[in-house]
Formats: sequence, structure tokens, C-alpha cells
Amino acid sequence: MKNTISKYYPLIPVFAAYLIMFIIGFFMPGMWQMVALLAFYCALGQSWNIFMGMTGYVDFGYVTFIALGTYGMSLGISYFSQFEWLGIGILVIGLILALFLASLSALLEAFIALRLRGAYFAIACIGINEGLRYFIEGAKIWGGSEGMIFFGALMQAFGKETVNQLTTFWADFSVFIIAALAAFLNMHYMRSKIGYALTAVREDEDAAKVMGINTTKYKTIAFLTSGLLGAGVGAMAWGLKLGHVYPGDVFVIHYTVECIVVVLLGGAGTLLGPVIGGLIYGLSKYWLAVIMPGFQLLIFAPIIIIIIVAAPEGVVGLLKRRLKGTQLEMFIE
Amino acid sequence: MPLLKLENVTKRFGGLVAVDKVSLEIQAGELIGIVGPNGSGKTTLFNVINGVYPPEEGKVFFDGKNITRLPAYKRAPLGLGRTFQIPRPFGSASVRENVAIGAMFGTLADKVSVDDSLEIADRYIELVGLEPHKDKEAGTLTPVEKKMMEIARALAMRPKLLLMDEAMAGMNPKDIDDMVKFLKRIKDEENIAIVSMVEHIMRAVAGLAERVMVMNQGAKLIDAKTEEALTDPRVVEVYLGHPTDKSKWRSEVWKEGKDWDE
Repeated sequence: MKNTISKYYPLIPVFAAYLIMFIIGFFMPGMWQMVALLAFYCALGQSWNIFMGMTGYVDFGYVTFIALGTYGMSLGISYFSQFEWLGIGILVIGLILALFLASLSALLEAFIALRLRGAYFAIACIGINEGLRYFIEGAKIWGGSEGMIFFGALMQAFGKETVNQLTTFWADFSVFIIAALAAFLNMHYMRSKIGYALTAVREDEDAAKVMGINTTKYKTIAFLTSGLLGAGVGAMAWGLKLGHVYPGDVFVIHYTVECIVVVLLGGAGTLLGPVIGGLIYGLSKYWLAVIMPGFQLLIFAPIIIIIIVAAPEGVVGLLKRRLKGTQLEMFIE
Repeated sequence: MPLLKLENVTKRFGGLVAVDKVSLEIQAGELIGIVGPNGSGKTTLFNVINGVYPPEEGKVFFDGKNITRLPAYKRAPLGLGRTFQIPRPFGSASVRENVAIGAMFGTLADKVSVDDSLEIADRYIELVGLEPHKDKEAGTLTPVEKKMMEIARALAMRPKLLLMDEAMAGMNPKDIDDMVKFLKRIKDEENIAIVSMVEHIMRAVAGLAERVMVMNQGAKLIDAKTEEALTDPRVVEVYLGHPTDKSKWRSEVWKEGKDWDE
């Protein structure tokens, strides 16, 4: 029994980091906004890393899931806010719709794109993302290119006070929950047969098949998990928090690139990596935006290049090597 | 009932017939060698047996079940293990994890947990003598160690039939003898049939297999007792070439000490 618990020790530093972030944001005035931004990057990195870190497949179209999650929540609020008796159930419906849309698209993408490898997979995912965006705009579904504005509907259903609390606290708080959930699922997968199967897939997919591993099944599990968590982040941090959605704002590859940066900075395939990467990226982006607004990308690009060249395994990769053979080893994964 | 039965298996790559109407029966617990020069279709035959690609014609039966169209990952749990000519370890995982992956998805797949698999792995790592390298990344092993690790990984699958692709290529005579002894031992201990594929190291074949199938240009040339097969004139011809009239004439010329062009 002790053995089983000690396998999950690497979750301790991750949860500790999230808890400290939460406490800082909650009790220090004026910090909540920044902490929420950090949690957003940590959650996205952690979710994206479940698929990329474990399988080695780089999903450039990951933002599709975040966008569909946003749309799910937006649809839920827009269409169900008229039923006032639903109360908070409106948001539950929104979240269910978000997860439904994301899993639909994840399974479809898994069916089409997971047959491809390497660059072809990445390109197919970008294609699906762009295709979906232009489909929504062109077919004029869900408001077409004008999107949906449902802040008014939200106000009507919950009243000013509650909406204020929902958008400024609970939306961000749920991002924390999703980040922690992502970390737990990632850890659980790493320690189960899924993790071993995906290690085999990452290293040599054909040999894995010969070893009796149903590669498609395990890849789909990781893809779906990663996508659903992303949809959760989208539903809360974009949908509920902002009260509007435009296809041009959400189907943007830029956000996938941010996921990649966060994960590579921290360490791909590690548990703590996305947290550290999310903190470094989020903090420096926030800080650079304050001291040199408009120049942050110009400064950030070379910093990223330097870190990736100097530490290809990310910060946690370095840390793991440092701690090898010490007592602390079992806390870092 | 034979453990593995091939019926007129043919595999083509475009116009090239890589495996040409090969039939073969292997009994449970048997040790058989498949021999043939480079390009004779041995590896392709292996790939057809364990499902890397389906044959164009013919049928493959395993344990009485038609597995001709079964995908590779469904064959391993039935009891088909395999090692590769060039070892294919899961490089970033440790030796222990590699071998555990074998146990996890082999014939015991539904019965063992991750912890059980790691225990099974320890046993087979000890069997192949990789104990000191247990926690090393598999990618950092030497080629021979990688081969031993692959054997441990395949054995941990608890197969009924183990396909070994050039297990002894690149080894020195002493290592080959050790390997032959080792394979015979595990065959009896684990009660598995072994098909060992060998390109040209006759030392390995002669010591190992009771029965040999010789392949040439995709087709089965002979399937007989080892001694019989290796001394068969057709087999000698495949390896050493046909004694043409010209070469005979040349050797006579040579003996008489005459000039070549005469």
C-alpha cells in the first residue's frame, strides 16, 4: 500500500506549486489576475503535455479543443440561460457541451490524423483547425464570423453580483482545478499500462505493435484526455470569463505555440515541467508586457531559443539529472 | 495439431515475389532454423507470421486459429514473440521497463498488473544476465546487451513461439556457442517453440536446430533434418554457387600451370 502511494509522490511538488499560487492570488490584493494567467498557462501546458509528452506526437492543432470548449460553454449559456430554474445547471450544461464537442472532434481527428506520423500529423491538425474555423465563419453557424455575445444572457440568468463572482473568481478557480486534474491524470497514466504502452509508441511504434500493444487505442486515450482538459480550460477561461466568442479569436495557432513553449521550457514528458514552464513563461510575459509593452515577443524569442539550446530537456530535465541518486529523486518526475 | 502452420504463403512487393508459396508446420516446443542467403525472404516470412503485413495469398494458422488477417498487436497475446535483426529497444526507458512492457502486453496481458510485470521482468533480466544494467536506459546498452535485452523482453511475453531474427549475427564463436546452449535451455525450461533465422553462420544452425528450412529466392528449397539439409547439394549450390564448366576448366588450367587466356 505504501508502495502504491509513494508512486504518486511526484504529484506533491506540483500540487504544492498550485496551492502556493492560489494562496498568493487569493490573499494578496491585486495578484489574482496574474496568478490566473499563470494557472492558465500551467493548465494548458499540463493538458497538452499528456498527449505530446507521452506519445511524442506534436499536435499543432491543439487550440481546436480549447476553441470548441469555448463554443460549448457559449452555446450552453446562450441557449439555456432562458430557463432560469436551471440555476448553476446552465454552466454544467455548458461544460457538458464543451466536453461533447471536444470529444467529437478528438475522435474524428484521432480517426483521420493519428494514422499519420511526424510532420504530417502536425500539418493535418493545423488543417483541421483552420478548416473548422472557416467552416463556422462560412456556414454561418453559431453566429458565423460575428461569433456569440452572451454576457447579457449571463446577467439575466444570474444577476450582476453572481456574474461578477463567476467571471472574476470561479472561472479562474476552475482553471486551477483543471490543472490539478491534468497533473493527476498524467501521473496516473505514467504509472499504469497506458504510460508503458505510450513509451513504446514514442520510441518505436512498429516494434510496439509487434509487442502486442494496440497503439491506436492508447494514442486515442491520451489524445482524448488531453483534448477534453483543453476544452475545460477553454470553457472556463475563455467562455465563462469573457462572455463572448469569435472564431477569429479562438481558432488561433498562436495558443498552441504557447503550449509548446511552456512544455519545452519546463521539460517535455515530465510531470513538473509544464508547471515550471508555465510559471517562467507566464511571469516573463506578464513582466515584459509591463516594462516594455509591445516588445515582449521580440525579447522573448531569443530567450526561448537560448534555453532550448542550452537545456533541450527543459528545466525539469536538468533538475532530474542533478537530483539523480538523492533522496529527492522520487519527488521529481 | 501443429502450433504454427503456413499454407502456400505468398508475399509480393510490386513485381518482386519476396515469399513464394511457402508451406511450413511447426510443432509446440520445437527448435527449427530458417536458413537462406541474403534476400531469400526470411525476414519477410517472419513479418508475415507476426502480422507486420498480410500475405497476398495463402493462410497462416496459429494454435489452430486462422490469423492471416489479424493485426500484429493481436498476435502477441496469442503467444507469438519476436526479436529483431537490428535490436529495437525502447531507448529512453530502462531495461527493466522494456522487459516489463513485454510481460504487460504478451500472453499474460489481462492477468498481470504493472507491479507484477516488473517482477516478471526482474526474473528474465536475471535469466539473460543483464542484472547489473537493470536500471540503465536501454538505448545506452552495447549491441550484444541490446540483443539479450530483446530476448528477455520477448521471453517475458511468455510466448508459445519465439521468432528470432538473426540472434547470433555479429557474435564470435564462443558467444554463439553460449547462445546456442542458452536457447536450448530456455526452450526446455519455458517450453516454447523457437524459430531461429540465420543467414550464414552454420555453426549456429548446426548446433541449435533439429530441423532446418532452407529458403532461396523466396521459395522453400528444402525442409529436413539439420545434417541432411546442410549437406544437400542444392543448399551448397545456393551458398557457394554452381560449379560451372568454365570454373572447372579454370581449375584444371590452374593445376597444369598454364596461362589463363589459353
